[in-house]
Amino acid sequence: MNIKILDSWLKDYLKTNASAKEIAKEMSLTSVSIERVEPHNSDYVYDIEVTTNRPDLMSVVGLAREAAAVLPQANIQAKFVAPTIKIPEKPLAKTPLTIISDEKNVRRICAAVMEVTVGKSPSEITERLETSDIRSLNNLIDITNYVMRTIGHPTHVFDYDRLPNHTIRIRESKKGETITTLDGKSYTLPGGDIIADEGTNNIIDLISIMGLENSVVNDNTKRIVLFIDNVDPHKIRKTSMQLGIRTEAAQMNEKGIDPERAMDALLFGISLYEKYAKGKLIAPIIDIYPHPYKPKTVSVTLAKIQEVIGVPITLVKSVAILEKLGFAVTTKETTILATVPSFRAEDISIPEDLIEEIARVYGYHNLPNQLPGITSNSIVNFSANPFYWEERAKNALKYWGYTEVYTYPMVSEAMYEGPTSEAVKLANPLGEEFVYMRRTLVPSLLKVLEENRQATTLQIFEIANVYEKDDKSLPRETRMLAGLIRDSRANFFRVKGLLEQLADDFGISNLGVRATKSGLETEIKLGSQVIGTIEILDEDLINFEINFAQLVEHATRTHSLKPLAKYPPIVEDISLVLTEEIPTGDVIAEIKKQSSLVREVTLLDKFENSRTFHILYQHQEKNLTSEEIATLRAKIIQHLKQTFKAKLK
Amino acid sequence: MENELMNLKNNAVSLILDAKSEKELEELKLQFLGKNGSFTLLVKEIAKLPAEKRPEVGVLANETKKIIEEALENTATQFQTQKKEAIKKIDVTEPGLRPPLGHLHLVTQAIEEITAIFEHIGFTRVRYPEIEYDWYAFEALNFPENHPARDDWETFFIDQTPDPQKGPVLLTPHTSSGQIREMERQVANQKKTGEEISIKMLNIAKTYRRQSDVSHTPMFHQFETLVVGENISITHLKGVLDYFVKAYFGQKRKSRIRPYHFQFTEPSFETDVSCGVCEGKGCKLCKEGWLELGGAGMVHPNVLRNCGLDPEKYSGFASGWGVERVLTMKEGLEIDDIRLLYSNKLEFLDQF
Repeated sequence: MNIKILDSWLKDYLKTNASAKEIAKEMSLTSVSIERVEPHNSDYVYDIEVTTNRPDLMSVVGLAREAAAVLPQANIQAKFVAPTIKIPEKPLAKTPLTIISDEKNVRRICAAVMEVTVGKSPSEITERLETSDIRSLNNLIDITNYVMRTIGHPTHVFDYDRLPNHTIRIRESKKGETITTLDGKSYTLPGGDIIADEGTNNIIDLISIMGLENSVVNDNTKRIVLFIDNVDPHKIRKTSMQLGIRTEAAQMNEKGIDPERAMDALLFGISLYEKYAKGKLIAPIIDIYPHPYKPKTVSVTLAKIQEVIGVPITLVKSVAILEKLGFAVTTKETTILATVPSFRAEDISIPEDLIEEIARVYGYHNLPNQLPGITSNSIVNFSANPFYWEERAKNALKYWGYTEVYTYPMVSEAMYEGPTSEAVKLANPLGEEFVYMRRTLVPSLLKVLEENRQATTLQIFEIANVYEKDDKSLPRETRMLAGLIRDSRANFFRVKGLLEQLADDFGISNLGVRATKSGLETEIKLGSQVIGTIEILDEDLINFEINFAQLVEHATRTHSLKPLAKYPPIVEDISLVLTEEIPTGDVIAEIKKQSSLVREVTLLDKFENSRTFHILYQHQEKNLTSEEIATLRAKIIQHLKQTFKAKLK
Repeated sequence: MENELMNLKNNAVSLILDAKSEKELEELKLQFLGKNGSFTLLVKEIAKLPAEKRPEVGVLANETKKIIEEALENTATQFQTQKKEAIKKIDVTEPGLRPPLGHLHLVTQAIEEITAIFEHIGFTRVRYPEIEYDWYAFEALNFPENHPARDDWETFFIDQTPDPQKGPVLLTPHTSSGQIREMERQVANQKKTGEEISIKMLNIAKTYRRQSDVSHTPMFHQFETLVVGENISITHLKGVLDYFVKAYFGQKRKSRIRPYHFQFTEPSFETDVSCGVCEGKGCKLCKEGWLELGGAGMVHPNVLRNCGLDPEKYSGFASGWGVERVLTMKEGLEIDDIRLLYSNKLEFLDQF
């Protein structure tokens, strides 16, 4: 969460000669990140990112205290000046106000009833609020925001006369109760939200999040209840997120504000109303604080500090840093015992927390850069490394003219293939577009095609996981490779050839392609296992998808050397008349089957009912004679006649 | 004999002059001068002549051979000249015929580069599930039960009955889930083989968060480092960070760490790289001269304990940075809307 504050405001509580730029730099390195310093008239505005573990720094006082602790490490003199919190005189009047607390949710409530005069805030306050991006309304509201930003505790104000029962009762809401917030918006409560009513069922405040229209101060307000509430932060987060009301108060309160600050906030508020709204306390101050903060002690050894930080920092230095940060420190030999201040109670509980405090103030920038000496105990193994094969496949596809895409694994119902009852489904999707985890990559590629309608030719691929439901375990994730080609020259055999070539490059020899439903859908097999498909979607549109994980599993870099041929091969072409339904693949297989001397068979040409096969004969040990070839040829032709009723052309 | 030689010469020369190609010329050479060429065979006949005739015919034969050879050579030269003329006439300004070339996605290119950098200093790349149990994504990483990241608003959950031990099933919101997987794996391996724990992991994977705007996509990529061993300190994290920054962004860039907060590391850091545009002086693109790279920290003792490692013996550091983030931080690549990376417009993809 980011907050903005003026440099001059900070310097009300921080005595230093450091410039805004210097403060920003040193704070960023050792404490909170001051992301920007912008000039503002003769002043500067800090834009500060406060991490969720440091709600104590979402205030001017908190930042000043922290700055005073860290700046001296950079040899910049700085001193924290705590705000003067004046305890008001006991009022004579006893204007009635009953607060009924809720033990379960309330950590502390402080309240005061005052007589006030509504009006405009002085320019000092309005300027400080507006540079903090808080809108100035009137003095009654502005003071609550000013207290919040100065002290760091969100603050609320009711119009006392709009609470006819003079009662504020804290309770959890029932599901379905309705409220109208001070900005005029109505909400139905989910139930279990912390609210205040006036003893009846009339809700008057959405506690720690936002005031309601029915009890908020207005131009006619004469008496107020200044109300500091500190309740269960998790319930605040839940209500605020569910209703979508993300006020600054809600964002602070959900992080857990130090209840010790509540009384400071109340007293500071009272003094401001006295000063700027002619305020007068007309009832005794109320403080409900069932379990006050009990300081805790955390210990750490010097050896541990040095081991984690990596430099020999001294005990004296470590103690000094912790003390500057508000810890009460004692030592026992080389062990540090640090008592945690209330405003750090949520954040500091183990030795490592103390080490972080010491290390950051010592300055991370003062530590050397060293590469770790340890080595990974895993052994490089190319053939078993999926990343190696993935990179190799991607590069092959790239050089074969394919462009890689990355599409979302979450798809709409329309894009999901197969019964959605078996789908891996998101319980809380971000819109209808992303509901199911895909089971195939192809629809995503078709969507890419649609998005590139103007492209007449397109060759794309993706390697990504698909997901299958498994009720007893995590969904199965399988790495797939899919591709899509749109081209007037798109051709089934180019796709088939591509996959065969990829298999070859992976050292896989038993990849087979087999039609199941004619050319409409073709199976790709690895041995006897189906690992993918080729689909011809249209004359100019073909896709493929293959189980890449399986391919990787069988991939190898091992090649066995065949002796180089000493004798040249003999080549011949045989033209056959074959009926249409006979698969060429079967014919080639049949030819190869006849002799180990047949080294290679390819389809040279196909015209009407005739096919010409190109055959290469080779013997490792000698030159083949014409007689030997003639015998072989006769054998081949005889078998083709028998098996396929082939005729020599 | 003389006549035969004469005829052979005339015949050869006219054929040579008529030759249409270098191949034909080569054949003519064989036809006349080859081992079984007609000239070669004729010359063998000289030996059968009476001794007194032989010198005369011998001279003639030599001349004949010379003339044929000259004719062959001249014609060959002519062919060479013609070829050169043809080559000279090539219009080299015509477009080249290129081999096919596709494009790898920018994210792949970044991942390859990141992998190479970390492998160079001894990290091993791993891959773990994208769909995970709460245990790996949150619980073992020391996230408190009520942490906002565990809300329905920030993390995608799978519609599936939670596992009684490992909790709900979700899309991992960070590569840090891989830390738990890796440590559990190594602890199990140690029990089995007695091998020492020594982790130098690089986990690059898809990650998911419920956000979509100019700087967020619901699916994105992170790269996670995890180093666990004995005596691992903050200085080592700084060393690895600085090595990566200089290797990926350039020698001139500086790195730094500053305090931050994460559940699974203590201390936690935000890591920064000096702005390449203003060289650290401060400009519109950066924050006072620095750009945020991502989170890092020393592995929280609870996380080590959750994986069965003794925090008194082992320590470690981890970092988790966005692939898209470092990609868009590279000079010259100013992508205003991160969603462009996944829009899959070829006009965009084909530029890289």
